[in-house]
Amino acid sequence: MEPRNSHTDLGAVKIHKNVISSISASAALETEGVRAIGTNLTSRALEFLTNKTSSGAVNVEFDRNDEVKIDIPLIIKYGYNIPTVAAKAQENIRAALEKMTNLSIKDINVNIQGIERGNP
Amino acid sequence: MRFLKVLGIYFYSAFLIVIGLTLIAMALIFTFKSSLIQPEAIANLIYYFQTSHYARIIVGCSGFLLILISSWFAELILGRFQKEKTIAFPTASGEVTIALTAVEDLIKRLTVSFPGIKELRPDVIASKKGILVDLRIILKSEVNIPELTERLQEIVRSRIQEVLGVEEPIIIKIHVAKIISLEERAKRKDADKEEEPAIPFSGYGKI
Repeated sequence: MEPRNSHTDLGAVKIHKNVISSISASAALETEGVRAIGTNLTSRALEFLTNKTSSGAVNVEFDRNDEVKIDIPLIIKYGYNIPTVAAKAQENIRAALEKMTNLSIKDINVNIQGIERGNP
Repeated sequence: MRFLKVLGIYFYSAFLIVIGLTLIAMALIFTFKSSLIQPEAIANLIYYFQTSHYARIIVGCSGFLLILISSWFAELILGRFQKEKTIAFPTASGEVTIALTAVEDLIKRLTVSFPGIKELRPDVIASKKGILVDLRIILKSEVNIPELTERLQEIVRSRIQEVLGVEEPIIIKIHVAKIISLEERAKRKDADKEEEPAIPFSGYGKI
């Protein structure tokens, strides 16, 4: 994961992809109806090896124009309307990233991995 | 990244082909006892790998690379399978994909409102025709099957439409796999009770 550069009069400011994924995960979790961030094999292995809570399987990519594309898997609470929650999560992530990083965001792709687990 | 994935696929395919050809060659050697590869040559090669410091580094690095390429390959294949098992729709900010397993979780939770259903196993398939829901259910004996199944179909359809917000047709097929009689249920309960181990000295101290 290479950090993204932005130059100021005093020097360069680098924002790591991990920072973007952490902001996205936090913003998504603040959305009403979102239970957790989904995981994949790599994120689970990383969590197991480093013993740290990672920001799940959030994938951040930059295109040639330095625009960000985010793929975020979510687990939704039971009883909520999925498209509404997904749209709210997308809005929250966009707002948080624009506020904190000034990056231009191209796509925020939400993947609903599951409904809150537990006794049906 | 895409280039690396393509490279990974080609490399993995080539690697498997080489292994296959080696096995065929070995089989042919054993069959015809030809002198294509001498067993001593293989032994010498292994001996060289064990003794030479550089060779060991190269072998170790190759192993590490192979593991990396394998994991990329696995992720790629799993990702492709996962993509096929989703319902996707575009939004203003990007795309939303819903895993069909999430829809299955949702349906499983509906059993709470049906006391007549003992067990429910949903299988959701998204096709061009719409969303196909296959429900395999185990019922309790005292229920009216036509009434219950009709109500289940209605509730599942309305819940999916409400939660997913999809306008595509939803086809719900119900398969009643088993009907548990009252006697059978009582037997199961008794069996469960018998299986529970008694805690030693559990009553000790109670007056």
